[in-house]
Amino acid sequence: VTNAAIFEPLRFRTFEVKNRVFRSSLAGRFNDYDGMGTQIHKNWDLKFARGGVGAIISSNAPVHPRGLIVPNYAHIDRDETVPFWRDLVQRVHEHDCKYIVQLAFSGRQRDLGGIQFEKGWSSTDKREPIHGLECERMTKAQIDELVRCFAQGARRAREAGADGIEVHGCNGYLITQFLSSAINDRQDEYGGSLENRARFALEVVRAIRAEVGPDYHLQFKITAVDYGKDLFPWWKKGTTLEESIQVCKWLEEAGVDAFHVSSGNSFPHPRNPAGGFPVEDVVRGYDTMISSGRHTFRNFLIFKTWPANKLFRWAWERAAKDQVEGINLGDTRAVKEAVSVPVLCTGGFQTATVVADAIERGDCDGVTIGRPLIANPNLVQLWQSGVDTPPKPCTYSNKCLINQLENPLGCYDESRFDSREEMVREILTVYDPPEFAG
Amino acid sequence: VPNRVFRSSIAGRFDDYDGSGTQTRINWELRFARSGVGAIISAWCGVDRRGFIVPGYASIESDDRIPFWGELGKRVHERGCKYVLQLAHGGRQRDIGGIEFANGLSSTGKSDPLHGFPAERATPEQLRRVVTAFGAAAHRAREAGLDGVEIHGANGYLFTQFLSSAINDRDDDYGGSLENRARLLLDTVRAIRQQVGDDFHLQVKISVREDNDAFLFWLRDGNTVDESVQVCRWLEEAGADAIHVSAGTTFPHPLNPAGDLPLRDVRDNYDGLISSGSAAFRNYVLYRLPVVNRLMQKRWSRPRDEVEGMNLDESRTVKKAVSIPVLCTGGFQTASVVRKALTDGDCDAVTIARPLVANPNLLELWQAGHDRPPRPCTFSNKCLYNLLESPLGCYDESRFDSREEMLQEIYSVYESA
Repeated sequence: VTNAAIFEPLRFRTFEVKNRVFRSSLAGRFNDYDGMGTQIHKNWDLKFARGGVGAIISSNAPVHPRGLIVPNYAHIDRDETVPFWRDLVQRVHEHDCKYIVQLAFSGRQRDLGGIQFEKGWSSTDKREPIHGLECERMTKAQIDELVRCFAQGARRAREAGADGIEVHGCNGYLITQFLSSAINDRQDEYGGSLENRARFALEVVRAIRAEVGPDYHLQFKITAVDYGKDLFPWWKKGTTLEESIQVCKWLEEAGVDAFHVSSGNSFPHPRNPAGGFPVEDVVRGYDTMISSGRHTFRNFLIFKTWPANKLFRWAWERAAKDQVEGINLGDTRAVKEAVSVPVLCTGGFQTATVVADAIERGDCDGVTIGRPLIANPNLVQLWQSGVDTPPKPCTYSNKCLINQLENPLGCYDESRFDSREEMVREILTVYDPPEFAG
Repeated sequence: VPNRVFRSSIAGRFDDYDGSGTQTRINWELRFARSGVGAIISAWCGVDRRGFIVPGYASIESDDRIPFWGELGKRVHERGCKYVLQLAHGGRQRDIGGIEFANGLSSTGKSDPLHGFPAERATPEQLRRVVTAFGAAAHRAREAGLDGVEIHGANGYLFTQFLSSAINDRDDDYGGSLENRARLLLDTVRAIRQQVGDDFHLQVKISVREDNDAFLFWLRDGNTVDESVQVCRWLEEAGADAIHVSAGTTFPHPLNPAGDLPLRDVRDNYDGLISSGSAAFRNYVLYRLPVVNRLMQKRWSRPRDEVEGMNLDESRTVKKAVSIPVLCTGGFQTASVVRKALTDGDCDAVTIARPLVANPNLLELWQAGHDRPPRPCTFSNKCLYNLLESPLGCYDESRFDSREEMLQEIYSVYESA
């Protein structure tokens, strides 16, 4: 078995990535409350640049302060943020690694909404169903404003020297809230038919193109299938693969240079990040969200109480079963067959042969990796040295995700370490060097 | 110090999780230095990681923190203001303990009665290491060019847990008699003196009035004022240069910061503490029950017009007993009240926190002839409870024309001067 396919450069329209491995978007609360980036965020991203990935897709970067998911992610919502991104991009480039900024807007899916805006904006005014997060239905004027915010975010990314941008169109955030037939309940030109539901996404893409010109990389991350019934079978199914493929075709016509395929119409979702539902960590980490939504106190009681928590865990883990690595390859292949631009796939990749086979089979052109790179930031180097799966692989426990609300992002699965102390030491390495290093 | 007004210690989660300082902390401090306070007492500053009370406060636990404090001190000095670093150890009173240590060190192995924060009874060897950590931290403060240090011996943190007869249940050299309960604090003063020499300022903050039963009425009431005064005398003998008078065996406490118990803000921020203590979930549920929380509010809160200068009696008592300067904290924002306290000899200076959060330019207002600021601090205590999840600042909307104006003011801390 050879894994050579992983190390062949990937040619986009405007630049080339040295290999087929992307660090997928991963956000930790490393930044200032107002969204200004910090030295710590740079330390975080540089871990992966040093570890050999070909490109990094940034953390979820809100294009407007109302669109944050939780405070302390780095925003790209104002010109004052550009110097931070510029310095970060330059430092990443020193490692022969490309940098793509993920432009995002949470919509109603705001886990900790912060003090500035009481409600999120959405296609609908119905509460987000898991936590009961409140929202208001966007007016036409607000939609227009936000389209401009995405375009301005793209301009800032370009000014910062980033190699491209990714429009975050998936995982239940605002663009999904428009695309999804399970969420979008509008009667106007932004709801109803697929064409109408896709209008907002297409307007965003066209506005970005108009702002940054034709020679700048623009990729689109999309939920290929909503899988709306995965958690509770009485919920709506949502957008189908066929519908998403049609949307991708329209997006390609509008000027998209690549697609990034994910799944699920919420975040988190049983299929993304697929794997464990770590009840104990959830009880410790979810408490801080109780004041966020209408259902959060109820949820906290469920997570705290046996056997309700075991049932919830069963419902959650049932959807993905054991097929975490490459869970989206089937959907990705369907998208790739329908478009002529490169297609990236996310979902638990950490085995060299699995990745190489996927590329050779033509399921995708590259893979994006989140959790397994947290576990092993040097994953690409391990593969290069001939290792197929890292000696201490990611267990998909999802403890990284749950802990990041209150604690520094990192791997919290003690079973992967010799001791808890070793784990904590590893987590805290992100703070070295500090902002004032002398 | 060029005048008699100190910015008292006030924290805010502006720094990194591991305790390294940030530009935002510098911005926050400069706001007060610019407006003319004579000296700033730093935020709660941990000398040892196990003693941190909340992640995101700048620490002085190791030498690589010195550059940050050096930069901060330099910038504050440029504005003619002195800077005193508050050296602290939370003991068991860790609101959000972080990922490194499951419990805090204390005089006792008992959890704190209000939240149920877990504790481990410190061994004499562990206590010697704490003392050493304070000495090393003071040395770093001096290296950083700061003007002095304040040992945080008040408000329920580690030293209170030893000093207080209501908490300390030891029967070794660190418990029992007042002398024994004061041993850790006095050893710390001596260790710092040894590290920094005779010519470096060292003050001690102490809860003179303990009132350990102020909220949970079934608890013991703790040290008498006479006992606290005796401790102050010993502190002077051991080499303290000034005493800073506060109150209460916990933080927060009905006596400090006195005023309202803003239940909505408490509830919305307390949720994140549920995983911190064994009683915290019960408390959170109680905060959600209207009848119970009205009772809590009644027991906890204090009329707003009885807050200013509420520690002056104790301060005067201490001042009569010692020959070093005495600072007094507690809601000061009226020029005539402060002037009277100084001329009456109740204290040598006042330290101010909440009213300066509300009006960072308080001194300029006094200098311009205002007795009280036009928009005084209301003692709503919303600043305190919001700081757990949101940036430190004034959250009392009634003091602003609009919520937007309030937010703008809160966010201004992120703008570098």
